[in-house]
Parts: sequence; C-alpha cells; structure tokens
Amino acid sequence: MYQDNEDDYKFAACTYFAKNHPGETCGSNGLPLTPSSITILGLAQRLLTIEHPNLCTYLDIIRGKHERIIVVAEVVGKSLSDFKSKFTINEVVNIAHQVADALKFLHEQGITHRTLSDDNILVDGEGRVKLFNYGLYYMTGGGNEVSFPLGLPKYLSPETILNGGGPAADVWTFGIILLELCIGKLWQNLKPGPILRRILTLVHANNPAERMAREHDCYDAYKQLPENLRLVIEKCLKIYPRERATFSEIVDDLSQINTSEMAEVKQPRGLMGCKLQYLYHWWQLAGGDIQAELKKNGLIKNSPPILSMPIAILLDGCTIGGKTGALFDCRIAKYSLGLLKSRLSHISAHDYYPLMHERRKQYDAVSLPKIIRERDTEYQFYRLLWFQRLLHGYPYTAPYIRAEAEIDIPPLVRGDVWAALLGVVGDIEEQYERIDKETPTPTDRQIDVDIPRCHQYCWLLCGSAGHRTLKRLLKAWLLMNPQYVYWQGLDSLTAPFLYLNFCNEARAFACLSAFVPKFLHNFFLKDNSMVIKEYLAKFWQMTAFHEPELASHLHEINFVPELFAIPWFLTMFSHVFPLHKIVHLWDALLVEGPSLPLFMGVGILRQLRDTLLESGFNECILLFSDLPEIDIGECVKESIDMCRSSPRSISYRRFTNEARTKEPMDMVEIPMEMLFAEICPRISLSDFFSLICQDKSCVIDIRSNLLYEKSCIEGSINVPYSGVHLGQHELRALGLNPQRVLKEAMKVKKTIVVASAEDETAQLFSDYLVKCSVPRVCIFHGGISAVQTHLPSLFTTPAPPNKNGNK
Amino acid sequence: MDTETLPNVTKTFKYSFPTCTNEDVLFKLEVPVEIPHSGSTRELVQRVIKMFHIPVYLEDELNERLANFVAEETKTFHNERDEKLLNQLKNSELNVEGIVRNWEKLFKENVVDFAEQKGTPDEEVFAAAYHKLVHSPALETILQVENSYAKTVKDTLKNRDEDIKKLTDSQTEEMEEKMKLLHVDCTEEEINQLVSRHLEQQIVVAGRWGSTLDALAHTQRAQHRAWLMSTLDQYHDSSALTTPSNSPLGTFSPAVGAALGGPPAPLSMAPAAQGRMEESFTIHLGSQLKQTHNIRIVAMDLLDLCNVDPDNPTESSRRLQTSLSLYSSELSGVVLLSESPPSPRLAAAATGSTEYHFCDLDRQMRQIDEQVKEPAEDRNAARRGSQPAGHGGGSRKTLRAGDVVMTRHSNLGDVHVVFHLVVDDHSLKSGDITSRHPAILGLRNVLKAACSNDVTSISLPLLLRHELSEEMTGAWCARRAELVLKCVKGFVLEAAGAGGAELRTLHFALPPAIDARVFASLATLLPTIFRISNPLKFKAAG
Repeated sequence: MYQDNEDDYKFAACTYFAKNHPGETCGSNGLPLTPSSITILGLAQRLLTIEHPNLCTYLDIIRGKHERIIVVAEVVGKSLSDFKSKFTINEVVNIAHQVADALKFLHEQGITHRTLSDDNILVDGEGRVKLFNYGLYYMTGGGNEVSFPLGLPKYLSPETILNGGGPAADVWTFGIILLELCIGKLWQNLKPGPILRRILTLVHANNPAERMAREHDCYDAYKQLPENLRLVIEKCLKIYPRERATFSEIVDDLSQINTSEMAEVKQPRGLMGCKLQYLYHWWQLAGGDIQAELKKNGLIKNSPPILSMPIAILLDGCTIGGKTGALFDCRIAKYSLGLLKSRLSHISAHDYYPLMHERRKQYDAVSLPKIIRERDTEYQFYRLLWFQRLLHGYPYTAPYIRAEAEIDIPPLVRGDVWAALLGVVGDIEEQYERIDKETPTPTDRQIDVDIPRCHQYCWLLCGSAGHRTLKRLLKAWLLMNPQYVYWQGLDSLTAPFLYLNFCNEARAFACLSAFVPKFLHNFFLKDNSMVIKEYLAKFWQMTAFHEPELASHLHEINFVPELFAIPWFLTMFSHVFPLHKIVHLWDALLVEGPSLPLFMGVGILRQLRDTLLESGFNECILLFSDLPEIDIGECVKESIDMCRSSPRSISYRRFTNEARTKEPMDMVEIPMEMLFAEICPRISLSDFFSLICQDKSCVIDIRSNLLYEKSCIEGSINVPYSGVHLGQHELRALGLNPQRVLKEAMKVKKTIVVASAEDETAQLFSDYLVKCSVPRVCIFHGGISAVQTHLPSLFTTPAPPNKNGNK
Repeated sequence: MDTETLPNVTKTFKYSFPTCTNEDVLFKLEVPVEIPHSGSTRELVQRVIKMFHIPVYLEDELNERLANFVAEETKTFHNERDEKLLNQLKNSELNVEGIVRNWEKLFKENVVDFAEQKGTPDEEVFAAAYHKLVHSPALETILQVENSYAKTVKDTLKNRDEDIKKLTDSQTEEMEEKMKLLHVDCTEEEINQLVSRHLEQQIVVAGRWGSTLDALAHTQRAQHRAWLMSTLDQYHDSSALTTPSNSPLGTFSPAVGAALGGPPAPLSMAPAAQGRMEESFTIHLGSQLKQTHNIRIVAMDLLDLCNVDPDNPTESSRRLQTSLSLYSSELSGVVLLSESPPSPRLAAAATGSTEYHFCDLDRQMRQIDEQVKEPAEDRNAARRGSQPAGHGGGSRKTLRAGDVVMTRHSNLGDVHVVFHLVVDDHSLKSGDITSRHPAILGLRNVLKAACSNDVTSISLPLLLRHELSEEMTGAWCARRAELVLKCVKGFVLEAAGAGGAELRTLHFALPPAIDARVFASLATLLPTIFRISNPLKFKAAG
C-alpha cells in the first residue's frame, strides 16, 4: 500500500451543473439547441492550453451525466482563506505581485477572471502563488451557461453588482483582496444582501479603501501601511473603472515595492518532474477515478431520479415540476498521486530520461492489441516519455518518430505525432493567420448545412466552438486550394484533425493541407470522376487479388464499388467510422503511405465476407447503407499485411502527386478503359524480378506450347490458352500438373503471374483464375515480349521432364 | 447571467499612410470594427491588406495599431457602460433595492454557502433506507409483507364489491317488486322516492367502503414505513455479523429463489404472457458512432405491465425487480394514451395495493391539476389568441392533445413511471397522421423526459391505439407502425445527445387481439427501419 503525502496532492476537481434550456428546444436553424454543458466544454478547451507560472494548469474538463461539468486542474499548497496567521507586509507584497502578474497575463489573453477570491489564490510553502480555476467566467460564456451567480458577494465590484463590469472589475477585486491581506477580513458574518448594499454605498466615498478601513475600525492599521502599498490599494479601489489602474501598472508598482527574491526552486526529478498532463493521464490509467473522490466528498450527490421526476410536459416542451437544480458548491476535491507513485515505484531513475540512441527495451505489452496498450499505465509511461523525447527533436528525429509510430502512438500526443508524420514544419501560425477565413463565399451555405451533421456525437465537434472552427478550417483550405471545390465529405475529413488539434487551428490546417495531396490528390477537383474511377478500379483489383472468391461473387451480382466505396475513399473512411476508430485507422495510414487505403477497403470487405457471400444485390445495398460494426484493430492489421505482401506496382495509380516513372521496368500504366476492364492488376518487370529472386512467384505461360518450348521463363508452367475451357471454373480442368503447381503456389502464398503474348488472352485467363478462387493473380505488364526485351536472362528452354509431364 | 448582454458597437478604425509620389498626400483607410472584437486582430489586418492592397511593409505597423485600437476601444466600451451605471446609481436613478434583492435571491437559491441549511428531505431519507434494505437480506421479508398487505387490500376490495353487489341486487329486487305494483298499489311518486333512497344508500355504502379503504391504506402505509425504518436500524446493528446464512439467496423462499436462479425471461412476464406474440431485436443507431438498443415488438395489453395479482406466487419476481430498481437510475416507464388521464383501468391497478412511497394516484393527479393549470391555461389562451375564433373552442379542458403528465408508482407490476399522453382519440383513428401530429410530438417529449430522468426502459403503444377497431386494417397498421417507428428512431437519436441516460430498451406494444399475420408483417418492418446488429460470430481457431 502507499501512503498519502501532502505533496502528492497535485490536482483537484470541482463540479457544477450547466444551465438547462427551458421550454422550446430548437434553435433558429431548426436543430436542437446545443446543451449548455457542450458549449462550456468547447469554451474550456482553450483554458487547457494556458500555461503561466502563477496559474494552475487546467488538466481536464469532463462532461458528466445530466449536464454536469467537472473541472480538473493543478493545485498547490493551500488557499489564502486557509491561512490562519497574518502575513507580513513583505509577504503580502510578494503574494500581490504574483497575483497581479497572473491577472495581467489573463487580461492580455482576453480572459476576465471575475471569480477571484481568497479561496482560489493558492500559496505553497515557498510563497509561490497560483490562481486556481480562474477560467470559470470564461468557460461559462460570462456566466451565461450556468444558473448560479459567479463570484463571492464581498469581492464583487460596484459595477458588477449593477450588472455591468468588464476586465476592470478584476482590479477592484484584487484591491479588496489586497486590503483584506493588510487589515484583515472584511464584512465577516454579513449576509450577501448587506454586503452588496455596503459596496454600493461606497460609490459616494472619495476614498473607498479608507472608508472600508474606517468601517472595520482598522483606520490606524491602514494608515500604518507603507504609503506605496496604500497607493496601490487605492489605485485599485477607484469607483470608476476608467480611473482604476491596469494590471500592467500594478505589476510595475509592486515590483518596485517587492523586495523578496524568489528562491530558485530546483526542478524535481523523476516522476514529479514529468509534465502534469502526463501525470494526470497515467493516474487515470492506473485507476484514478475523478468522480469517486467527488462523491466521497459529497460534491456529487445522487438523489434517486424517481424523486425528481417532472409531473407534466406540455406539448411545446414546457416542463412542469421536477428537478430543482443542484446548488453550486465551490469546494474542491483533491487527488493524491500516491496511487500512481506506488504503481510506478519499481521504475528506475534513469528510465525517466531515455536516451535517443540507446537500444530500446522491448515491453511485453507490445504484443497486445492497441486498445489494451493504450490503457496500460506502465506501457504508456515508457511510450510517452520516449515520444516526448523524440518530438522534442523534431524535425530532425522524423525518421525515428515514423519508426516508433509504426508500433503505436500514445493517444495523449497523437496530434503532435500526426503533424510530425505529415511533415508539418515552419511557422504554421503565421501562414494560417494570413488566410482570410471570414469573407463569405458561395460554398458557405453548403458548409453550414454539413457541419451540424458531421461527427456530432463527439462533444467537442458538436458545440458552437467546434462548428465555428471547422468552418474556418474548411474555408481556409478551399481558399488555399483554388483548384479544388468543396465536396461533401471534406468536413468529415477535416474532423479528425480538428478533434486532435482543437486548440491549435493552425496545426489542424497544416495537417489537412499536408494530408490531402498525399492521400487524396485531385479527389476534390470539380470533375473528379476519372480520379475516383481509377481509385475504385484499383480497389476492385486489390479485392480480386486478395479475396478472389468474394470478388467474383460481387462481380456476378454486379455489386460494383461505385455503389458503396466512394465515401470510404473520398473521406479516407472518416465518414464511415466514429472518431475513436478513425484515429487508429489513420495511425496506420500515415505511417504506411497512400496505397494502404486500398487494402483497408479490402480489409473491411474481408470482415463482412461471410455475410456478403450469401447476399444478393439488394441485401448488399442494405448492408452498406449502414455499415455494421467493424473490428478496426483487425482490419488495420490485415490491411497492413496485405499491403506489405503485395508487389508495389500492382497498386500503382496514375493520379497521384508522385513523379511519374520513366523507367520501362517500373511502368504499369495502361489506358483507363483497359484498367476498368481488367479484374487482375498488372505487375511491373522490376517487381516481378524481385519476386523471382525471392522465389515468391509462379509464372503461368499461356502461349501455345510451340512457343513455350522454344523459350520460356525459367520455372514457369505452360497452360496453352487455346486449351482452356473458360466456362469450367475448376482448377482440375487445367490438367493435373498445372493444378498441382497452382495448389502448391497458393499454399505458400506465391504470386501467380500470367504471362502471355497478347493482353486480351492474359486478361481472360486471369479472370478465369479469379473465378476459380485463386488469390494473388496478376498480369505481366507488356507480356512475354517485354520480359524478353528487358530480362532476357530469365529465359531458358523448358526441361524435358516438364515436357513429358505435359504431354 | 449577471452581465447584461449589451449590443456590440461598431467603431471605425482610421489609418493613413503617404502616397508613393507625394509625402504630404495621404491614403486614408477606414475600417469599421465591432467592439468587443471576437476574432483575432492580426487576421483582420491580413484581410484589410489584401482587400485594399496595402503595401506589405505597413503590416507590422497595422498589426500594432489595430491591436491597440481594439484594446483601447474595448476598454472604453466597458468603462463607458459601467460609468453610466455608476452615475445612475449616484443619482439614485436605479432601483438598488431590487438589484440587491435579486442578487440575494440568486445567491440564496443557487450557492451552497449562502443557501438555507436544509436537512435531507424525508422522502430522500426513506428512499435511501428502502434502497438499502431491498439490497439486503431483508428483501424477501419486505416483499412478503408488501404482498400480504396487498392481499388485505384485495380482500377488502372484494368485500366491497360483494357488498355493493348485494345491495344493488336487493335494490333491484325491491324495485322490480314495486314496479309490478305500479298503478296498483303505489304511485310514480313513491317510485321516485325509492330511486332516490336507493341512490343514497349506494352513496353511503360506497362512502363507507371508501373511507375504510382509505383508513386501511393509511395504516398500512404508516405501519410499513415505520417497520422499514426500524428494520434498517436493526440491520445497521447486526450488519457486522454478516454470515453466509444471511445472504439473500439462502433465505429466499423457494418461489423467489427459483425466480432469482432460474431463467428470468419467462418469469418476468405477467402470467397472461404465455403464448403471446413477441419478437426482440438488438439494434444499432447512429451513422458513425453506434449506440446499441434493445427493441421488442409484442402483442399485449400495456396495462398488464401495471397489474399485479398478489395471489399469484410468480408475481413476486416481477415485484422484486421493480422494487430493486425503484430508487436506482434504471427506471422503467410506460406510455398510456387517454383522453383524460388517468385511465380508469390504471386507477384500478394503482389502487389494487397501497402506495408506500409516493402519494396515491388520486392525490398525484390533483397535484398535477393544480400545478399544470396556470401554465397550461396561459398556453391555451395564447393559442386561442393566435387561432381564428370559433376554431377548437369547444374543448375547455386545460390539458390538450400532446400534453403529457407523469405519475410515479411503487406498487405496479413492471413500471415505476407512467406517462399519460393526452390524445384525441378521434384524430388517431384517421389513417394519415403526420410526424407533426400532437401524439407524435408528445411521444418525443416523453422520450426526452425519459432520457433526462434515467428511465432506461420504456413501453409504448406502437399504433398509438390500445385496442383494435374496425378501421385498423393491415395497411393502416403498417402505415402507422412505420410512422411511429421512424419518428421514435429520430427521437431516440436526438435524446441521446442531451446527455442523460441511455434508453436501453424499447417495447413496442400492439393490441393483444391483433391478427398474427399483421403482427408478423409489423415484426418484419422493424429490421428495415432499424439496423439490426450483427450477431458476433466466433470462428473456431485453425
């Protein structure tokens, strides 16, 4: 067991309920209103990225059941309100200086605190100050998304009480806190009403600070304060916001008064030196449960739902009776890292600092499925540290990142890794800034229609923040790619990048911009029919190559890929699967390259194989209209296997952005009409040559036996085309020897290469083989004559025993 | 909510730079900017540069100037508004008392620190106690006690019915005799007197029985609640000594034990369920992320879900399930259609035994009437205003078609919550209702309320009719079923986004008397509307 230690409390959670929408629940666009909790979730994402030494880092925003929001953030030390002893003037100035620093930073970011109080100013043992949950006002849209009032009565500025108040209200609150630190708590034991009345009467005072001190019988104490400090307080506590100092002035003033030097704290080593986000992530993986602790502290109370049932709902949606909203409780629950510490206690110190060129250890977990690895504390611990190291060195470490990403990608840094895999470099923020995302364009209408239908189950994407960003991304991309038009599906394609880079629009855009040319070159042309047709034809050939039985069945019932596979490839499956599956699919895609999607298509068909084989055309249409669950892990594994075991040239496409090869040995390009007619792909001479060298091919020569006997490719067998009955779909019909050779070849997964003198016979014979369910059939590009020209050394005269066997 | 959303203002950003030929002649640039500005000023600068072909060397300067401009204007925007407010306050132009009261109310009603200290409400204490006890070895005893109480009520009801019948019989007899003597021995006057006397007698008897029943329910309720609370105390005291012999299974009577151990499906249904037509499916909803739901189509009377027969031993397993989940977050509900709720048959089922947890149905309905009256009448008035006079003025009821009232029950067979959907029977008979029909919209509200109140299993009449009638032909049924199924599909998807509980099980009930062929055709309709999840196929290794 582990012991809880004061220092182990690294983060804390607080929770509240978002507002419920009353009555009618449709927005102006006819769609249901976004629940407040979703809006809060979207707004709060930005807070997760804010880092400042005097601000507690936000770690997580969780949306619970029934509009509950849970905010997880860093904590240190204890709050000002928990300090019982009085601070010395020096300490006060030091604290104030740091608080002002934090607030100055927030105001520069355009964030108003509004809820500053002695509860959420945390001070640690060394006098270091951090503000906790400073974003409540920001994430609730200025309090609009919650039903409770923000802030504590005594810290409200006069104009806030009058339902106004801008950023300058924080200055007032800061002044009150400073005054309290100097002369003690104000208005203790008073109820909100009287406090607010007193604050409002201050507007008639010339010097509100002095007046408050007098009211509390502390005038003498107040007068004894150093004059410069008093001046700061009075600058803050001006009635008119215009007259109040700004935080940058206050910071300047205080830094002159502040004499205490912050002791340089040594960065802790080992576990406590890791990024807080990582610690939180590992803690969750190790079984940390945010809700459990909140329940234990009574911050989540579950009253039985039957007791809070409404009593009636009118036709227009007006609900009568029922739940009265739970009260806002500003208490927090702290979490100890003890659990994680004990879980990782056996890890040696130098494992925290992996060296780049060290031989990597193998972890047992590698053999487990990806989903399990992603939940394994220790495995993620090693992976995250290692990836952190690699990403630190990007772009110089790009090859290492690629190699590691091939194994898996830790979910926490997936956005960074994807950007690295896509080769995103440079000042992407500035580039993105230069693009006009606001000016209306004719496609806006379509985009507006599509966005509220794009991956809306994802809470990030279904809020207004998500919608707005997605629209900006799409508009920016269209503007930067004038050769392309908006095809429906582009929204789905953008969604994964937005999901992973929610607060980093520029990077999402850079990723999308790098992704499209690599995987979907020319797919978004106004006339993309040829590109798509070629892609589908290739996909169909790959299906025949790896799944001949299925392919011939689908050919037979005339169920062509145009009927179902266009959204697959146009969106790289992002329209078909939920995000948590897409990320695994794309992890593989980004590593393996642009030919993998073809095989992923085959992988999906393979999973549906049994159903498809017994379905007719109509059942197939129905099946694909709403794709059944697919095991993505399995699909990815198989498609990678297929992709790697297929000769590169068979998946060759002309419409890519890769340079065209001039080398005749590598050429497989044929006119489009021919491509659409051929069921089996063509193999290039160089691929064939390497297959021969590895003894992974079986050549079937279908010329007449006269020509064959004259000279043939070494090791090939002769099945004269003229003697084949194309109607009989059985290998036996080919004769004993060819059947034996083919069976043998299929057993060891050799590639079957059909060699002929004419294209037409090669095509017909290869179709025949596919119908006989022979996998891995392909055609020589250029036929026998091409081999004779370029690889004459492969030719020989057939050996006599072979001849005897044939005769 | 405490900041008034003021309309944004538009300020003009002015900038000028010298022309290339003459230093003194300036190009003037004016850009209206909305304050507070929501986007990035740097992006705005880029747009301006592009649109007006501003020389790029001015970019940095523009960036700085515009940022300063926006910052300055935003500050002024806030300050001016606040200054106005403060001046109003100084000049006593504001209702300070009102503002302060408003804040007081907000703090008091919404924030724990300022709220009045309230203990846990009684019903929650009782709920917690009951929930704990039904998940303890005391469960069996509780059920037995409840069952025996229910039997008493049932016997009393039987006695009442017999008594009333006896009275009616004797009255009929007397009346018949008198009638024979009419115009012979007695006058019409006398007959009329007799009639009114009989009526009085009836009222007296019914009243007597009513008060007996009321008293019975009252004592039962008080006794039961007191007993439960004392049992809880005992349980607390003895909880340290939990021995295996104390375990729930060991102490169950054979009937309940069998119910727990045996296959749950056949036992969880009413005895009448033997041989009724039903078919179940597991479906996926959603285009990318799929949610799984169970749906069942069944020919049954929805009131069978409510009725309990205390004399039938197998009923205890139904009650067991209902009691266990009463205070859980997996409630089950039923949608009952009626022109004016509650339907008499439900009332009979609800008064068949004593309600220990909630108010009895009558009182619940009265409370609902009271609370619904005002908002509903406001609504009706508004509707009347918008509609041409004379149209639909006939109905004077507060509740209109499509409204839903909800009652809670602890003593029904399978359900905790009854959604009474007010319908217009006449319009539902018509063959062509649309998805905007009040009954359908009401259904939408029901499903949404179910989701947001943890009702995870719900039964509803698929054809929006409880009984068969002559116009309900096969084609009529198919059309209606298709409409309801498609709408429900949409509503379930929509409700899932609201962040409540998942509607795990949907029962679609058809009138019990439905023709087997019609049932079969409707059952085949289901897989065409919903995507049936593929059964998981395990392949033998190798």
